[in-house]
Amino acid sequence: MKWAEWIRAAEDPARVSEKPEALDDLLVLDASHASFGAFLCGTFLAELGAEVLKIEPPSGDPARRWGPPDAALEGEGLAYLAEGRNKHYITLNLEHPEGRAIFRGLAERTDVVIDSSPAGHLEALGVGYRQLRERNRGLIYAAFAPDGQFGPRARERRPDYDLTNQALSGMMYVTGEPEDERGPRPEAVPTRMGSWISWYAAGAWGAIAVLAALHHRRATGEGQLVDLSGAEALMRFMGLGVFRYEVAGFVREREGLYESAVYPYTFVRVKDGWGFIAGYTDPNFGAICRIMGRPELAQDPRFATTTARTTPENQAPLREEIERWSVDYTADEILAKVLADPGPGVVVFGRVNAPTETLRESHWWERGAFRRLQDPLYGELLLQAPAWRMTETPPRVKWPCRPLGYHNAHVYQRYFGLGPSRLAELKAQGII
Amino acid sequence: MPDPRDPEAAPSDYFDWTARLLDLGAVPAKPEALRGIRVLDLSVIIFGPATADFLGELGAEVVKVELPGGGDVTRILGGARTFWKNTSPFFFPQNHSKYHVGIDMHRPEGQALIRKLAARSDVLVENFKAGTLETKFGLGYRQLAEVNPRLIYVANTGFGQWGPFAEGRASYDGLAQAVSGLTAITGFPGALPTKIGIYIGDWMGACFAALGVLAALHYRARTGRGQFLEMAQCEALIRAMDWTWVHAGLTGKDRPQTGNRDPAFSPSGVFRCRDGSVAIVAATDREFQGLAAAMARPGLVEDPRFATPEARHAEENVRALEALIAAWCRDRTRAEVEALGREHGFAAARVMTAGDHFEDPHFRARGAVWELEDPVYGHLTDYGPAPKLSRTPARYKWVGPPVGMHNDYVFARVLGLAAEEIRALDEAGVIGKWADRLGAKPPDGWAGEGFLR
Repeated sequence: MKWAEWIRAAEDPARVSEKPEALDDLLVLDASHASFGAFLCGTFLAELGAEVLKIEPPSGDPARRWGPPDAALEGEGLAYLAEGRNKHYITLNLEHPEGRAIFRGLAERTDVVIDSSPAGHLEALGVGYRQLRERNRGLIYAAFAPDGQFGPRARERRPDYDLTNQALSGMMYVTGEPEDERGPRPEAVPTRMGSWISWYAAGAWGAIAVLAALHHRRATGEGQLVDLSGAEALMRFMGLGVFRYEVAGFVREREGLYESAVYPYTFVRVKDGWGFIAGYTDPNFGAICRIMGRPELAQDPRFATTTARTTPENQAPLREEIERWSVDYTADEILAKVLADPGPGVVVFGRVNAPTETLRESHWWERGAFRRLQDPLYGELLLQAPAWRMTETPPRVKWPCRPLGYHNAHVYQRYFGLGPSRLAELKAQGII
Repeated sequence: MPDPRDPEAAPSDYFDWTARLLDLGAVPAKPEALRGIRVLDLSVIIFGPATADFLGELGAEVVKVELPGGGDVTRILGGARTFWKNTSPFFFPQNHSKYHVGIDMHRPEGQALIRKLAARSDVLVENFKAGTLETKFGLGYRQLAEVNPRLIYVANTGFGQWGPFAEGRASYDGLAQAVSGLTAITGFPGALPTKIGIYIGDWMGACFAALGVLAALHYRARTGRGQFLEMAQCEALIRAMDWTWVHAGLTGKDRPQTGNRDPAFSPSGVFRCRDGSVAIVAATDREFQGLAAAMARPGLVEDPRFATPEARHAEENVRALEALIAAWCRDRTRAEVEALGREHGFAAARVMTAGDHFEDPHFRARGAVWELEDPVYGHLTDYGPAPKLSRTPARYKWVGPPVGMHNDYVFARVLGLAAEEIRALDEAGVIGKWADRLGAKPPDGWAGEGFLR
């Protein structure tokens, strides 16, 4: 059988539920609060099968309301709705001594605690890592804060927002249009990435660290503290910044459409919008010229070598040459030309898709990258699926977020044997 | 009574305690989380190598296979301007502490060596075009799972191993940004499309891939079963677009570009100061009160346009607020605004440059800016591991040595070959080291430090 057929069958998104889950022996207490990075750490573990108990104060996690201001569903912010998948939602008041006693009881038998309160806050309440590990030596405690749990700024307790994390990471400084001779323009400024990328990076790094710590625990029985910052999670992706600063005093500035390392590697206008095109080695650039019907361009001294093409003053003229051609064709027409080219060389091209255009491409649906859930509470929901395809333990979405305290009865009965009347008392006392 | 010798006991202050618990100086003496896990890295450029690197910084032994002579193409990336000590430092950020071997995979004897390495590895990482290792080299998942059913095989691509776009369609990071929809939700309406200034699809995709590997290792520890795992760069970015898709599903519309305003939080934005820019978010009532106090305009919180989060979200109101904040920032420094954020409890952060990172004592104390003494290149500074683990901290030991630097160590130690067998493979050109050319060779004057002798 051909590889593509074999792997397609082995990863078939329609048969995911026939297979086991990688982490279904793990219990995670997700006490994240007003931090989507910490929240996503629990989400990724839940997608991979962990039982995640999301603990909220009776007033709810403020992140529950996060999303676009003009669209919420049943009072839930769309971000929380999409990313709260597979968790069990319980309320617990950690400001109350009895609430803390319940929390300790849960933490004593859990594998992982996720905390994003201001650094040291849970310890001051008597339920921080230092106290919890006394009764659970294997506990893995992941603490999230923009400035971390130690270091000169850790005491400052800066609120955890993606925008400020992006600013600290250095990514924002190198993203966007450079200023030029036209003077200040509103868009020629350090620019944020449109989605909460520092929080995705923090959540993924958190889950990586938690699973690495579990690996260590399997051998030794020892748990540990994991300290995570959304700013540093993204900073790890910054490449050579500090290296080049030290070696050459060099600070990379925004390059907009251009690229100092590889070129062409840029956006061009097409008949129906914008496209991305790249082909920076000699054979690949030759292929672009051939597809454009301009083979002589590959010999032009301004563009004939990789060095010439990455020379700053040649980049704009080269983009203009490509754009002069590309504006006469739709993105689909250009892609068809690219795919029909016999080589040598490979051209990378695609449309700058609006999200609704991405959603119209069958590729993602066939692969299960998106999923329409029919949810009994929230109705039909379109969600992005977990990013991994795995042949033995495929991750999955079982339910989207649930209302505040939705799983109280189940969880408190399961872990403490607390029945309905006791729960009613705890509720009346403001504990759950 | 706490034991004074125990670094986890003693200080009563939380931050004094964490400073000791997570002390960077204590890192080398502590064990590594993933010791005993071997990763065979057959990948090039960033997406694949970073996946292996993230496991390596947590203690896995990563064996990176490169073509003898030139090695990974990233070793010459960036052009003549950026060469440093005979190599391109573009190779460094995704190649820490790996064992570098040169094997010619085009030769059957080279394929046999890789098969043997795969038999003794826990994880394999590759980023060839889908199916290439199977059809061209006989080293695909189906073949290697026969010699090692416990193997976790990770394949990174742009569009995935199968599906309409998977065959014949090449991808780069920038393309993944475009087709995923990320470009369309980033930047300012009506302006040019915004390319993210780093290879975010490579790095975020690698981060997801490493996470998948660890989940698969956890499952294997329980069952003994390996598996195939794939990460498509485009799907990694689709995954990381928060509420974009649920919003499109409910409204049928695309979320608009909002420039530097995070549409979930008002006010939020990036504002020009005297010495650079600062990002500000003051979303809750308490944070907004703090901002108003910092601006010496406490009356703002009474203004009906700004009194509630809902009012502050209205387009004309948040625009008015942004104008006030911009005017307030203009004559201040970034440090002044940050200090006021601290004092008044709203989020303010400098838009940091690489130079800011380098000079920053906080990042240095935490190892987010990491100093390394490399046996080949000497002293250098790099961005450090992201998570800080108290008992098994992540670390870098060396970076990007020349092609084939660890041939003798790996072939003797991992494969158990005798010295004369290694020499024979070398003479036959099956294995090899660096070529004597820029981008491949060691620095001038290097005397072989760091080699197994």
